[in-house]
Amino acid sequence: MTAALAGVLGYFLAGTLELLRTKTGPCWGLVAWAGGLISLALWAPGFPESKLGGPLWGISLVGDPIALAFWCFIPLVHAAVGWHERRRPATFHGLVTLLVGTCLATVLSRDLFNLFVCLELNSLLSFLLIGFDARSRAVWASLQYLILTTVGMILYLVGLGLVYGELGTLSLAQISTLAVDFSTPSLAVGAGLLVAGAAVKAGVFLLGLWLPLAYREAPTGVSTLLAGLVGKMGIVTLARLAQALPVGPLVVSLGVVTGFGGLIYALWERDLKVFLAYQVMSQVGYMLIGFGLGGPAFFGALLYTVACCLYKGLLFQAAGQAVEAVGKRDIPSLAGRLPGPAAIGLAVGTAAIVGLPPLAGFVGKELLGVMVPPAFSWTLTVLTLGTAASFSKLLPLFRMGPAAGERGAVTLLTAGVLGFSSWGLLSLPSLWAPSLWLRALAAVAVGFGLHLVIHRLDIRLPRIGLDRAALVSLVGSVGLALATVLWL
Amino acid sequence: MEGQVALLLAVSLLVLGLGTLLSRRNVIWKLLGLNVASGGAALFLVAVGHRPQAVPPILGWGPGPAADPLPQALILTAIVIHFATLALSLVYVIFLTEHLHTQDVPKLERGEDE
Repeated sequence: MTAALAGVLGYFLAGTLELLRTKTGPCWGLVAWAGGLISLALWAPGFPESKLGGPLWGISLVGDPIALAFWCFIPLVHAAVGWHERRRPATFHGLVTLLVGTCLATVLSRDLFNLFVCLELNSLLSFLLIGFDARSRAVWASLQYLILTTVGMILYLVGLGLVYGELGTLSLAQISTLAVDFSTPSLAVGAGLLVAGAAVKAGVFLLGLWLPLAYREAPTGVSTLLAGLVGKMGIVTLARLAQALPVGPLVVSLGVVTGFGGLIYALWERDLKVFLAYQVMSQVGYMLIGFGLGGPAFFGALLYTVACCLYKGLLFQAAGQAVEAVGKRDIPSLAGRLPGPAAIGLAVGTAAIVGLPPLAGFVGKELLGVMVPPAFSWTLTVLTLGTAASFSKLLPLFRMGPAAGERGAVTLLTAGVLGFSSWGLLSLPSLWAPSLWLRALAAVAVGFGLHLVIHRLDIRLPRIGLDRAALVSLVGSVGLALATVLWL
Repeated sequence: MEGQVALLLAVSLLVLGLGTLLSRRNVIWKLLGLNVASGGAALFLVAVGHRPQAVPPILGWGPGPAADPLPQALILTAIVIHFATLALSLVYVIFLTEHLHTQDVPKLERGEDE
């Protein structure tokens, strides 16, 4: 535990020192990055649950597979972002270092209040980074992000109060040994509000509608960081809650809703970054279904989360570079004008996310598909078809334009995707079965066929502004709390 | 008795704050609503730590049971975080007012880049 804690504190210290520098480029960020790797090497493959600050009231920290998986790929995302944005002032890198540090802390924590603090720090730092360029659209996007996530965190705090009032502890590790049931309504409402608050932060469809605008307006490196890391902190919290409290069915239904909701919006979206943002929502569905079901599906969902972080980060990095280079956001007007690395990054990312074997999405999807019950396996198949159909419209973008582009960050993230794919294929021999490969290829082919039908339809879905987003978050959260009382 | 009064007050603050957030068009009003609601959440947590006939949880503060100190300790952190959130968002509102000359949310949503 000491090593992991030292790594996190190193990140916080280095981030603060970086903020005080006046030059450009990362310096202390590099030190923190190396320190993080050393700390990982020291505490891997894990440590048992331990209490920071004394046995009775201390904060529960645990080095379980979730923490290990995240710590393994966080340095990669951090390096890609640091490299791409290396010409920015040190303030920017300080904020990025601090943000990565809070993510490292979040995945270790198994304490309700500590998770709250980490998530709030996360929101504050992302808020500063989204609006870093001081463009009024970006500032508005980040203000909207902050207002909506704060609403979620207030609900989380109330839920925390109710759960603490009933159980007398904040440690999720301790709660999971209590075999909680929801016979007392106040405990049920509390658990429902905790799930709702974390879901708002996670960007679940209809609860966290801050997501498309924030991802659209953030600077390239920041949207890579959001999609590849920060956006998943709400999911980690939901996974931790599902481990300790019997809220599995709630998390699964959130997963199904967000899977299809995000997908429907993605199908007809023409703005490249907004399209990818709705796809992020849709992918969250897979993870929540797995985390909510628990058991072996929990492990599948964890691997899926890692895969998704890697290729989502890659897609956002490539898309951001494309938009920067061409100066347009519309998918049709970007066609054939992308710089080489951006086009390759988009192509690899797309192949990975639609589940083309042997790439990362294939590994994640098949693992999850094998480990969930058959009914959900069908839901996942339909989602995969939809993903393939919606991504088919990116095909014209893979043709490179004349412009030269930057390679570093895309190369790093592509290496991450390929590395994960080969690790998956080498350690799980069952993935070599030809029937799986055929099925995955067939799903992509059918998805492409669907695209040919769908793109002829011109459907405009309603835009959701701040007021409506806040209203649906609140109504949805109250609905979740009621559902916990009446249903579970 | 005091426990119930505090809980009731906390819930009404939450409803008042979130209601303001939903009904006002001006972004400063929205932030104020959010701040009132977070005050409600803080009071709610303190009220959860209430015990009948309890004294404040301070060493040497007389006999009798003390109120649960943990929620009060947590709330200090939460108040600081909410203060930071409010301060930062007001800075952004100042920026938006200077650049788009409005604090009206529908107008801000349509707002063009400079």
